[in-house]
Amino acid sequence: MRGVCVRVIVWMACLLSLLNAPAALAGDEERKLEAVFIGRFASYVEWPDRPRERFVITLLDDNPFGKLLDDLYLDKRIHNKPIELRYATRLDQVGETDVLFITLSRAAARAEAIDYAQRNGILTISEIKGFAESGGVIQLDFVEQKARIKINHAAALRSGLRIGAPLLSIATVLRGERP
Amino acid sequence: MKHLVCIGLFLVAGVTLAADRAVQETNDYYRRPLDHLLTIETQAKAAVGSRSGDRDALDAEVPIDVITSAQLQSTGQTELTRALAVLLPGFNAPRPSIADGTDHAAPFTLRGLNPDQVLVLINGKRQHQGALLHNNGTVGRGTSGVDLNTIPLRAIERIEVLRDGAAAQYGSDAIAGIINIILKGYGQGSQASATYGRTRQGDGVTWQGGVFFSQPLAGDGFINLSTEWRDRGPTNRAGPDANDGGRINTHFGDADTQDGLLALNAEIPRGDTTLYAHGLFDNRRSSAGAFFRRAGDARNIAAIYPDGFLPLIEPKIVDYSATAGIRGLLENGTRWDVSYTHGHNDYHFYVDNSLNTSLGGATPTRFDSGATRYTQQILNADFSRRIGRHTLAGGYEFRAEHYRIVKGEPASYLLGPEDNFAYGAQGFPGFSPENEVSARRTAHALYGDLKYGVSERLMLDAALRGEHYSDFGSTVNGKLALRYRAHEDLLFRTSVSSGFRAPSLSQSHFSYTGSYRNSQEEAPQFWGNYAVDHPVARALGATDLKPEKSRHFTLGMVYQPAAQLTASADLFVTDIADRILPTGYIAGWNLATLSPQAAAVLTQNSIDGAVYFTNAIGTRTRGLDLRLDYKRELPNGAWLKLVGAYQRSRTTLTDINQAPGILGVDMTDLILDPFTRVLIEDSQPQDAIKLWTKYSTRDYDLVVNLNRFGEFSSVKGYDKITFAAKWTVDAEFAYRLAKDVTLAVGGVNLLDAKPDEWGETDDSLAGSGKVIRYSLYAPFGYNGAYYYLRLGVDF
Repeated sequence: MRGVCVRVIVWMACLLSLLNAPAALAGDEERKLEAVFIGRFASYVEWPDRPRERFVITLLDDNPFGKLLDDLYLDKRIHNKPIELRYATRLDQVGETDVLFITLSRAAARAEAIDYAQRNGILTISEIKGFAESGGVIQLDFVEQKARIKINHAAALRSGLRIGAPLLSIATVLRGERP
Repeated sequence: MKHLVCIGLFLVAGVTLAADRAVQETNDYYRRPLDHLLTIETQAKAAVGSRSGDRDALDAEVPIDVITSAQLQSTGQTELTRALAVLLPGFNAPRPSIADGTDHAAPFTLRGLNPDQVLVLINGKRQHQGALLHNNGTVGRGTSGVDLNTIPLRAIERIEVLRDGAAAQYGSDAIAGIINIILKGYGQGSQASATYGRTRQGDGVTWQGGVFFSQPLAGDGFINLSTEWRDRGPTNRAGPDANDGGRINTHFGDADTQDGLLALNAEIPRGDTTLYAHGLFDNRRSSAGAFFRRAGDARNIAAIYPDGFLPLIEPKIVDYSATAGIRGLLENGTRWDVSYTHGHNDYHFYVDNSLNTSLGGATPTRFDSGATRYTQQILNADFSRRIGRHTLAGGYEFRAEHYRIVKGEPASYLLGPEDNFAYGAQGFPGFSPENEVSARRTAHALYGDLKYGVSERLMLDAALRGEHYSDFGSTVNGKLALRYRAHEDLLFRTSVSSGFRAPSLSQSHFSYTGSYRNSQEEAPQFWGNYAVDHPVARALGATDLKPEKSRHFTLGMVYQPAAQLTASADLFVTDIADRILPTGYIAGWNLATLSPQAAAVLTQNSIDGAVYFTNAIGTRTRGLDLRLDYKRELPNGAWLKLVGAYQRSRTTLTDINQAPGILGVDMTDLILDPFTRVLIEDSQPQDAIKLWTKYSTRDYDLVVNLNRFGEFSSVKGYDKITFAAKWTVDAEFAYRLAKDVTLAVGGVNLLDAKPDEWGETDDSLAGSGKVIRYSLYAPFGYNGAYYYLRLGVDF
């Protein structure tokens, strides 16, 4: 009887350890590519000089990456700066950042975030359709299982950002104002 | 005890190793050139079976296959059913011939069940079934299914196939699975294509031309239009008729079919709301032969056809569907979707090169034999809301159906004065005024779905759906699915659910009767199919049809040891009770123990024999699905992609309902003759292997598709005949002549495989060396090799 109890306890412990183990990394390749693109995009963008020791990437709203971004950018540098990742659920938590990855689902909330980013020289990235046309700088989406990049160049200029030719050359570039 | 600790340590270690691997893969991506990242093909995702968005194989709580547009194109097929038959294990699409209307709208099945036990969705919205009731001895006999060939291939982005019962989420028909066809949407380029092909024997000449045009709209909206013309010439594998001078007088092969197809898919986003619409239209003309009437046949009039005649059944089929809706997002994060869908199928029979013998020399030779029509309208309102890691969803659906039978012209069904038994248009006598029907049904459904994340790794999905149908009443069905991600690369899943299939209006109301006289002095005798509410059927014990009820169990796992390799295995069991079948021929001469009361009913109504539909049997289908997806990047930017699959399923009879007492016969005698038993249990391949391989470089793609179609059986007389499994090989070489121009050359069934022949039989027509050498159940047809050229232009 005692043996059965011990076995049950061990089984439960094993299961609980697994249930509580963080789903640290998504197996989803789209997520992996998105995580990579955030940093790679940033390396092709020039910001106005700003006196920060770290390069800051902030996720606004849901974090679909789990711990993937933390693990990926732990030992990376962008523009020769170490990378700091922040996670914000509200716009007023964003503060100073270089990149803002936006997962906000409501259009009005996104527009506020885009407006904030433009005023503060922040590179905005999102996977949400219509993002670039609505003033976001880089829209990353997947069509037939392949990544596509859409860049609102006018929005980038308004934010004081300069996007390098190698990135522009592989993207669909919107040069006009928002429709 | 030690074992337990080891297992625990193994699992925990596995989590760590999988996490390390994922970081390594992501780091590897990080080091690659930016433009190279755009060439990486990610795993296909699917939304079907979930109300919480797209997910890939490692996230799906139920087994799902995704067929991509590239895979469909690479088959060389111009029709969707034939493309799926070589890509999707368990999808069976035989090529019926000399089967009346079925020649022109061939049925398909999943997992060896019936065509009406598969739910088809277009962009997640229910697609209507065809009006045709398959009434001959083909796979799918006694059912009405969706006609997949009304959808232009170029309009399809992907096809999601849910391999599980899902009636608790989607309602009726989702028993063998769901096929969700996603039309090309955002971000697609315009394309034009032209295809020419023919069989090795020189027939079956196919011309296809199509244009897909995409117009981007503001906010990443789009209007996508597809148009296609498809002309598939007839094939003929009939042998010489020894009783007709050794000439080939019969048509046994593909019908001569022309389709004009249109498809629309559009989205207009405005802030948090999106207006959307999609639609399909197909106008088909088709022609195929009935059985040949020799010169001396009593059904012939030698003055008109001195050498006999081959009646041609030439239906005109119009099929269309349209969906319009609006979806949006509330301030609190609730997503909503309201839509209306209208679907219609008009199957109008015409017969040419024929005659009505009973009208004598005055007979016309071309007939309008009437039509069957089916209309479906659906109003749907859905909502879903994510609450943390949980998702709560629900909705309401109203469905209205209308089934009609329209009489043919009088000459098509009349029993004239001139002859004794050969009434109506030879080949396909018309529907008579007595057969006309206009039957309607409505259904209301309420449903809810809770996806509850017990932890990051354990997900529970519970669904409940209640429906009320105006004809048979109410039904409530539920589903419970569990998904446990033991590691980042290992998933276990299981589900139990109940389901149902509402009897189709065609099964309840199909009526197709004829008459004959033994001599001019006698009153006409009637025979045929009677609707279950027809007084004759009622007097013979027919009752309103009940829904087929199903129960499902699946247990499976997915293993993804690397991003390039995904393997899955799933076991399934599907029990179906009260399956609906047509009775055997209820006649005194056919059923030895037919009661005197039943015989009296026949006599009083001058009926030789009658057939009606009834809830007859229960079955169990058990099987196994294995999948393997592998891709590998090779030097010089080349890619190798491999999709392997194995499916095995076996359906067995488990229950036989009681026959109506008035008939005085048991259900086995009434329905389960050897033909019907084999049709249910053995007529479809018991297993299938698919191995699709694609090697891609910047300049060309090479695709090889290996198929094994498992053994199946058929009946000749009272003997069950088993046909051996066969392998086929398809291949395509597509060369990019310029950046936007591709020329493909390919072959289907390159090794010219044919199904086994019937062998020696006593039958006058069917058998080796006779007119009909192959079974109608042959899963890859009997055309042999087919070669094609395709030119594609992107613009």
